[in-house]
Amino acid sequence: MSLINIIHNWIDERIDLKTLQAKMLNEPMPGGSSYAYAFGSALLFIFIMQATTGIFLMFYYAPTADHAWQSTQYILKELDYGWFILSFHFWGASAMVVMLVSHMLQVFIWGAYKKPREMVWLAGIVLFLIVMGFGFTGYLLPWDQRAFWGTTVGVEIMDKAPIVGDFLARFLRGGPTAGAQTLSRFFVIHVMILPAALVIMFSLHLFFFRKAGPAGPFKATAKELETKMEFFFPRQVFKDIVVMAGVFVVIAGLSVLSPVELLDEASPEPTDYNPEPEWYFLFLFQLLRLPMFSGQLGEFLGAIALPGLFIVLLMALPFINRNPERHPLKRPFAMSAVVLLMVSIVVLTWLAIASRSE
Amino acid sequence: MTLKIKSRVRCSDRDVGEVTRVIIDAIGKSISHVVIQLDDSERVVPLDGDTVITEGLVQFGFPSSKMGQYPLLDRGNYQQVKEVEIAGLERHLEVFPGEVLVPVPTLERDITRRTFFTNFTNAIGVVLALPLVYPVLRFLTFPMYQGFDNRWIRIGNIGKITEADKPKLVKFQKTVKEGYLEREFQKSHWVVKISDALREEIYHGKSIEYKDSNGKVYWVNKPDNDVVVFSGKCPHLGCAYKWKENHKRFGRVFWCPCHLSIYDSGGKVLDGPAPRRLDVLPMRIAGTGEIEIIDAEFKAGKDNMIRII
Repeated sequence: MSLINIIHNWIDERIDLKTLQAKMLNEPMPGGSSYAYAFGSALLFIFIMQATTGIFLMFYYAPTADHAWQSTQYILKELDYGWFILSFHFWGASAMVVMLVSHMLQVFIWGAYKKPREMVWLAGIVLFLIVMGFGFTGYLLPWDQRAFWGTTVGVEIMDKAPIVGDFLARFLRGGPTAGAQTLSRFFVIHVMILPAALVIMFSLHLFFFRKAGPAGPFKATAKELETKMEFFFPRQVFKDIVVMAGVFVVIAGLSVLSPVELLDEASPEPTDYNPEPEWYFLFLFQLLRLPMFSGQLGEFLGAIALPGLFIVLLMALPFINRNPERHPLKRPFAMSAVVLLMVSIVVLTWLAIASRSE
Repeated sequence: MTLKIKSRVRCSDRDVGEVTRVIIDAIGKSISHVVIQLDDSERVVPLDGDTVITEGLVQFGFPSSKMGQYPLLDRGNYQQVKEVEIAGLERHLEVFPGEVLVPVPTLERDITRRTFFTNFTNAIGVVLALPLVYPVLRFLTFPMYQGFDNRWIRIGNIGKITEADKPKLVKFQKTVKEGYLEREFQKSHWVVKISDALREEIYHGKSIEYKDSNGKVYWVNKPDNDVVVFSGKCPHLGCAYKWKENHKRFGRVFWCPCHLSIYDSGGKVLDGPAPRRLDVLPMRIAGTGEIEIIDAEFKAGKDNMIRII
């Protein structure tokens, strides 16, 4: 008996490890494994990579207004492979958003948010908000012009929320305008509060998912669900890992081909820099340019009411949409709504990019 | 009637053995087969519509001679149920382990006693946490609200602004103390030498009064100044706007690259989402012709100027 076996048995005797391992892997998947189910695992993988590269970056990064930019510059320009770690973290953030949206679309199309999986969906929406928070707070940390102006405008938007807006914006900034205190606060939110929140919510998400069980394909007879049934291990695990490897190659490739560029140090004087948020917030940015969202009221509607309503709608989805039908072609209203939404986002994003040269 | 392990198994003609195991369908979450201990072998037999389950007995419709056609149990093809995560199995399956009971400790059987301990635990939590709420809140919100800085800052000489209605970006250094950190950085505002038309547009023949949060006037801009200073911050969402000599639609205008608000050289909104005209800063001209300002900032996105710095 090998040493590893001896240790494994020793632990198993005390905490019933083998049953636990078996239970993790033996999750019956109705209708069998599929690449369509790999998005969630890919998200977990990206998060782990973000946490890992994030911890590496903290070896050198200094979260103070007088050194944040210099330490980022040091990571990027002097440190061996610093450019790669930072770029991986940067592109990982984009990959996270892409994968998150794909995951949500898959769940939506498959109708997998419906009873009895409402709690899985709700925990997922909270995770969605946490990831957006990661993107928003991380954007400030390099403390260059892009960072400073993205945050200045972003927090200004929060200020437009009724009653709590002013308090919330000041709380995030640690003052009336973005500055040194804002950097400290965003840092602690980015590296402590959000990771803790994400781990907790992810655990709940997975717990709820395991309690409800996988939804399986949207069209299959009971017989097919049963005969094609597979456990999570090994074939789904294999498919998940194939997707993870693909994600890794894409992120690493982007990091090499298009490494992070650090602009001038943050300053309330933007010189020739034209502020713009990260690409996945561009549609919101473009939305606020529309004439219908002008003026104090318009700004509230575009910046707070509409996105707020969207989140509420997402959360309410499994409760509004109670029809148990899961086949996408038999849910024309839900499907057209999601197509319309995605088309609007693409068009707004495209408009924002097209008007850059103006 | 629920199926029990050790139930006797009877075919249409005679008793053949007893149930040793049951097999669950992981998707249907019900018992699909039973394993029967026969005289010489263990066989896996499906439960079908003809099977009658009563207390301690499983009755099949077929004769014992047919038992041989069912497969022998190959244990390697199965996992124990505790090793498989079947969602909601406990709620679906009533067969086993049945109701297994553990006595509540005698000391805890008294309900009021349990309630007392629950409440007491919560009370201790509240007693510990409550006095901390205010200090923690103060700790976290300390830098959020601060007094206004009414220092006069020199930003340049009026002699350099010669052409009327042609805005000039004036940069200046400003030192700010943020917590423990004192930083000097560059800021900029727009100075415009105003024609009479612009003077009328901006002042309407009246002075501009600046009030602090208590409503007390701390400065008055008189309309007779030759220049006006616009805060460099766009009143829409706080970006820095620019001057364009050749905007496609509007010609010579202030233009914000963020959300495309457009203002004329007097600060009036011509287009875009801005809720109010550009902010005119409190200013005075020193004897030497130096332009001095109070570097106030006003909340973006509001119809009115609400001072924040």
